[in-house]
Amino acid sequence: MKTLELLAKACAVIGGGLLTLITLMTCASLIGRNTVGITLAGDFELTGVAAGAAIALFLPLCQVRRGNIIVDFFTSNAAASTTAALDRFGALLLAIAMALMAWRSTLGGLNAYTTHSGTMMLGFPEWVVYACIAPALALTAMIALAQAVQGSGEDVQP
Amino acid sequence: MSPLLLTLMIFAIMLGLMAIRTPIAIAMFTAGCIGYVTQAGWSPLANFLNSQAFARFASYDLSVIPLFILMGHFATQGGISKALFRFASAVMGRFKGGLAMAAVLASAAFGAICGSSVATAATITSVALPEMKRHGYSGRLSTGTLAAGGTLGILIPPSVPLVIYAILAEQNIAKLFAAAMIPGLIAMLGYMAAIAVYVRLVPGHAPEQNTCLLYTSDAADE
Repeated sequence: MKTLELLAKACAVIGGGLLTLITLMTCASLIGRNTVGITLAGDFELTGVAAGAAIALFLPLCQVRRGNIIVDFFTSNAAASTTAALDRFGALLLAIAMALMAWRSTLGGLNAYTTHSGTMMLGFPEWVVYACIAPALALTAMIALAQAVQGSGEDVQP
Repeated sequence: MSPLLLTLMIFAIMLGLMAIRTPIAIAMFTAGCIGYVTQAGWSPLANFLNSQAFARFASYDLSVIPLFILMGHFATQGGISKALFRFASAVMGRFKGGLAMAAVLASAAFGAICGSSVATAATITSVALPEMKRHGYSGRLSTGTLAAGGTLGILIPPSVPLVIYAILAEQNIAKLFAAAMIPGLIAMLGYMAAIAVYVRLVPGHAPEQNTCLLYTSDAADE
């Protein structure tokens, strides 16, 4: 779990750096367009794909911190052991869903790589984004699986 | 099985999963997958999922949302919320119940940086609640004020729910933001007026005499 947590943090840092870079890129492009008339063609595509990669890279840390939104209204009076068991079940379901998505995204990424599919303006290769999404989803699945097996031990942040 | 009955059953499964603490996203994902498999089969679903993560995540329309969140975090980490509350309490501090009004004002100002009500409430609460407690505001007044002030986060632009609505309904985001501005300001003034009336009508919730500037610079630098 410690290793997974470290990896999740590393992913999130990369995602944050990516978002910051893309913000600066958009600023530069907008300032250039509105002052000297030089702009980066297809800046919106880069924003889209970078945001997509960043969102996927944030998912592992989100799961480490159990940040996925749940409804706790109906179980607020239940015993702690009951909610812990339900949380394990939820984590297991999430692990299965994430593993499914990671597997299918890998195949989708391979397909995008072999068919050289890219964005419209810049032709930015889509497989690069898949290469960020698929491992991040797989890591999320592993974290969720660990949480389902271990329950909320001491090493899991509340 | 008739399609209607199937739909109702899948809907019931989704709500049931949500009720037992399954993450909402996963409850919806499971319900969608069940529906897809029963109607079209496993292979179409698997093929559909190949590109879905990319198509949903790498969307330029929605990329504004993580960027708003990033902006809010930069503002919070940069200490803007403290500075806002200091400013607001300097403006409102002379009135009775001034710190509560200052919390509303700070929430509105923070709503201009942050597009989420929960984030606004959480950020302003972390600064304003200890300060209000220290000056003898009742728990009822201070928490109620902060909860109400948090709703200004989505009214005053930027607003994440408005962006999502605009994209789904294909509306102009800038016009929606402009339209939310006036109601947001009216709500802010209304909350402040309500606090002013409440602290006068119901004694014991706010300190009687405010001694000039309550929020000193020492407290802000803790």
